[in-house]
Amino acid sequence: MFRWKKLGKVFTPQDVRGRAWLAEFAQAPATLVFDSFVRVYFSCRPPADAGGQYVSYCAYVDLDRADLFRIRGVAEHPILSLGGLGEFDEFGTYPVSVIRDGDEIRAYYGGWTRCESVPFNVAIGCARSLDEGRTFTKLGKGPVLSYSLHEPFVLSGPKIRRFNELWYLWYIAGREWKMVAGRAEPVYRIRMATSSDGVCWTRMERDLIETRIEDDEAQASPDVFSANGTYHMFFCYRRSTDFRGKENGYRIGYASSTNLTDWSRDDTRAGIDVSDEGWDSEMVSYPHVFEVDGEIYMAYLGNQVGRYGFGLAVLDGALE
Amino acid sequence: MRWKKLGRVFDSTMVRLPGDCGQFAQAPQALVCEEYVRVFFSTRAVDMRNGKYLSHVAFVDMDKSLCNVIRVSEEPVISLGGLGCFDEHGIFPMSVVRHGDAVYGYTCGWSRRISVSVETAIGLAISRDDGLSFERVGNGPVLAASLREPCLVGDGFVRCIGDLFHMWYIFGLGWRRYSPDVQPDRTYKIGHAVSKDGIAWMKEEARQIISDRLGPDESQALPTVIEIEGRFHMFFCFRHSFDFRTNSDRGYRIGHAYSDDLSAWTRDDENPLFDISAGDWDSDMQCYPNVFECDGQVFLLYNGNEFGRNGFGAAVLEA
Repeated sequence: MFRWKKLGKVFTPQDVRGRAWLAEFAQAPATLVFDSFVRVYFSCRPPADAGGQYVSYCAYVDLDRADLFRIRGVAEHPILSLGGLGEFDEFGTYPVSVIRDGDEIRAYYGGWTRCESVPFNVAIGCARSLDEGRTFTKLGKGPVLSYSLHEPFVLSGPKIRRFNELWYLWYIAGREWKMVAGRAEPVYRIRMATSSDGVCWTRMERDLIETRIEDDEAQASPDVFSANGTYHMFFCYRRSTDFRGKENGYRIGYASSTNLTDWSRDDTRAGIDVSDEGWDSEMVSYPHVFEVDGEIYMAYLGNQVGRYGFGLAVLDGALE
Repeated sequence: MRWKKLGRVFDSTMVRLPGDCGQFAQAPQALVCEEYVRVFFSTRAVDMRNGKYLSHVAFVDMDKSLCNVIRVSEEPVISLGGLGCFDEHGIFPMSVVRHGDAVYGYTCGWSRRISVSVETAIGLAISRDDGLSFERVGNGPVLAASLREPCLVGDGFVRCIGDLFHMWYIFGLGWRRYSPDVQPDRTYKIGHAVSKDGIAWMKEEARQIISDRLGPDESQALPTVIEIEGRFHMFFCFRHSFDFRTNSDRGYRIGHAYSDDLSAWTRDDENPLFDISAGDWDSDMQCYPNVFECDGQVFLLYNGNEFGRNGFGAAVLEA
């Protein structure tokens, strides 16, 4: 058995000054460990436009490796530009996941476009950095993983990993747009693809995690961590309706696997839930697990899916 | 190559079009049947919510001389895609190819965007009743935007050659606003992909296989390929990327290229394919070609003025 001991909120985007594009939200944390700091990537937003619409950018905050609650710096500029007119990522880059590959750092991100009948569509883009992750250049103007026969829309939430010399991408794919109180909301599930080069992907073409709370349950942030001979997936899930409040909002789930493809879900083992009060009292979501100096941490979002930043918890017990 | 024009063989203003469609018979695509030629085309209904168009696929059966209409389908042969799907707002065109007892329909699905008018991708639907109705293989596309083909993948034309499916299609290079007061326009080029099963495709990612004749802003569309005496011939249409809708000097013309290996294509359309008479149904524009063989003759279907608002015409290869 393990549980996550909450350490509190570590980063609040509203505290950052001088960056109009980083007004609120610090969503979907993803880490890269450096010699003296831990770089945490996240997605943020400037204020909404006159029509109430947001764009989203990716940025990072550097946390002191010896004291993760000491902020060493925040990105001066977004790490990625938005796409050009009509491109898949014209209106947002959210979320982002990063990995080292030799001398470079590879980023996979959700690129957002705006549609007429539904509010948006998302496909997964790829970019690389040659300056230790400060700036990234897109591999192309189009996505590396786009809408396909059985994944018709909303390919998002990429999480990139390498195990046994193979690239793995966990992500979500939409299966249906559901009309909820006059608003189209996507229902999505956790999926997976593999690649020998990180560019050309083979999809597994099936849902990895069975639904638990309802048929139209939405699942996101499939974060896989290897420990003690088992692969551990932390993810988040919510109901398909009225999910913007506490009752039906995001919770963190758990599944394990020994072969990376067959997953056994058991949310009772997730070891983390909403707090009685405070910044994560209504929802917990977008988990990301990482190891630093012998400790295993989870970065995660609280109320309003990261509008006021992300927090940390530390593992108590062993992942097995 | 010398073509004899047969004139406008299908006048869509003279028939009742299915599915509340009022005008247009665009991108004719022939399926040769025992007794007749079934020609699929895209026709348009008006979306009552906003006055925009919705393209539906219908067909007309014509006798094998292509001079007489036998019947027009009473319903579209495929429904439009569901909410948020790539083919929600229209299918234009749908290209058909026989495979065993089935007919594979490669759809170009349209869905509307906000900053630009549309995005497209290529889907697959299969018919088991000789093209009367088609069922989607999935709700998503078989070919869509990718790393170096950033938008507007469409116009798939498929043929089985040897053990392989070949698809010629178009991919967008991007959108551009040519002056501040106009809507953005796009440029697309012809590409090629292959497949073992007609479902999983391998693109020659972003390789433009047909050279430009009008410069980098040339848009190329709707390739169609036929083998004649051991040589592959491709017809397509091409135009300038802006001010092409009403300016006949910049509108669609039919292009031609040939290849002996399905890889290297030589463009050969310095001279017009056939004579155009001023004031005729195809005098301002010739577009959306489809070439096919029927009873030993090679036919070319195509649209004329206004992108096929009033029907399509045909020509037959003489030499």
